[in-house]
Amino acid sequence: MNQWKRYGVKIFLNGVKMIGFLFLLSFLVFFMARMAPGDPLKAYYGERIDRMTMEERQRAIEKLGINEPFIKQYSLWLKGVMKGEVGISYQYKQPVMKVIKGVIGNTMLLAGSAYIFTFLLAFLLAIFCVYYEQSLLDRFLCKVGTIFTCIPSFWLALLFILIFSVNLKWFPSSGAYTAGGERTIKDLFLHLVLPLLVLILEHLWYYAYLLRNRLIEETRKGYVTFALGKGIPRWRVLVFHCARGAMPSYLSLMALSVPHILGGTYIVEKVFSYPGLGTLCFESAKYHDYNLLMMLTIITAFFVLVSSTIAKVLSECIDHRMRRE
Amino acid sequence: MRDEKKFPKVSAIVLCIICVSCFCSEWIMNHDPLYLNLEHIGEAPSREFFFGTDTMGRDVFSMIWYGGRVSLLIGFLSALFSFVIAILYGGISGFSSKWLEHFLMKVLDLVLSIPSILLVLFLQAVMRNHSILSITITIGLTSWFPMAKMIRTDVRQLRKENYVLIAKQTGASFFYLLRVHFLPNVLPSILFMIITNIGSAIASEATLSFLGIGLPIEQVSWGTMLSRGDQALLANEWWLIVIPGFFLIVVILCITAIGNYFREETITKCSNLSYQHKRKIRKTF
Repeated sequence: MNQWKRYGVKIFLNGVKMIGFLFLLSFLVFFMARMAPGDPLKAYYGERIDRMTMEERQRAIEKLGINEPFIKQYSLWLKGVMKGEVGISYQYKQPVMKVIKGVIGNTMLLAGSAYIFTFLLAFLLAIFCVYYEQSLLDRFLCKVGTIFTCIPSFWLALLFILIFSVNLKWFPSSGAYTAGGERTIKDLFLHLVLPLLVLILEHLWYYAYLLRNRLIEETRKGYVTFALGKGIPRWRVLVFHCARGAMPSYLSLMALSVPHILGGTYIVEKVFSYPGLGTLCFESAKYHDYNLLMMLTIITAFFVLVSSTIAKVLSECIDHRMRRE
Repeated sequence: MRDEKKFPKVSAIVLCIICVSCFCSEWIMNHDPLYLNLEHIGEAPSREFFFGTDTMGRDVFSMIWYGGRVSLLIGFLSALFSFVIAILYGGISGFSSKWLEHFLMKVLDLVLSIPSILLVLFLQAVMRNHSILSITITIGLTSWFPMAKMIRTDVRQLRKENYVLIAKQTGASFFYLLRVHFLPNVLPSILFMIITNIGSAIASEATLSFLGIGLPIEQVSWGTMLSRGDQALLANEWWLIVIPGFFLIVVILCITAIGNYFREETITKCSNLSYQHKRKIRKTF
């Protein structure tokens, strides 16, 4: 009972820290967006701004709320956030939350499956490498893996589009569904294959290498000799004994790698024109759509914090040695 | 059985060749890289244009060497910039009182949880005119975090050493201690990070320019060459994508190999598997 109370307190404290950080981040982001050069009127109305009369311009300024002092703008914005209205995207001329809600599912699907598959495959690859340690296959895999970590993800995406979409015509090259077609699962799946492949290949070796080194360390320990002496086959010792010892650090690695994988997802989304948060981010950066960019930053930070907190708490549960004093 | 670490000679030689060729590009280029040769738009590699021409008629071979200067320069300068910031931040936080150090580290931990691409994006969106300097500053401002953590850990340990205490006692200033005592002792463990930062800065510049928020298209660099890539896809012009990408990969690979040579095998006590947790490294490349 006491243990549960302790975990509850820990989770609560982490939650408070998270909310505090989100506030700080929103303030910083708001500050930078308002201090940025560029006329927000021009960003919203475009060319019409030159043809407006003084009264129309004044009305537009009051509508967008630009003439008020900075702190007042921030508090107005905060109040809006509490109600759920975060302002209007200059680029899409729609409420920001509506724009985001339309695409967030796609990003979650891509990022979530990339995350799961990367760590699953990295685990299998590491086990495979350690089982055949120092053999030709292992060394070859290490070299190939090192090369793959040096390839920028957008280039790999371009190459895959070139090979698989333009030349071989196996997979579509952009979007989440075929334009104008029916939204079937098969269609979604076909569109997901290439981005997922790029994401997995990009990050796989990084994590597989770390886990492989950790497993090698584990195999140097005494209990492995004892287990082998008992007659347990090699693969069983590796998978059921050594991997268990390496699991806490692997889970901690999973917690720390969420921003890495999410950042990679954003880039790949943009290259494949996959309608997700990533494409929105880059477009709003290019067209200086600060309302959207601010909200995207905060949402991304929120996801990262939530998932890393969950993973940290889980890893502290599993391995008591990880608990900090 | 662990094999001895040998300096990666091949990587060093290849990197030197590419760097020298880029900086002496006037002698190597056979065409003007900025001239829009409208008669030869989108030609495949031929005897006249070794690597073909791009969608605006510029010779790819000349652009590679001319643009390589910009890419490599941005890489080195960003790494230097982030190193300076990391040293100052890590040194100050390692050397200061407990609550200040705790606060600085918490800030660092929280900032580390945002994807760095988003930070870079935001900074680039805020800066209006994109130039080499602004990109260098942006990339430098977003890549110093892991280094600062490492430096702070080392400085905390070094603080208790005898020579540091004596130097403090005889009136040494903070910058003197940083320059004379901390920097040489910290350098071996972070040399690997600095070198890897060069590689990742080059990759970041290419990524940003490709996505349209890096260097402007008129500026020739490996990233802007690749930014014409999506147009090249429609016309199936593979040389516009494969060749600059090949050079990019080779440079990053060589830099990573050299960095891996400098990677120290330290056994740290922290249980996070983050950037500074180094393991017994086998030579893999």
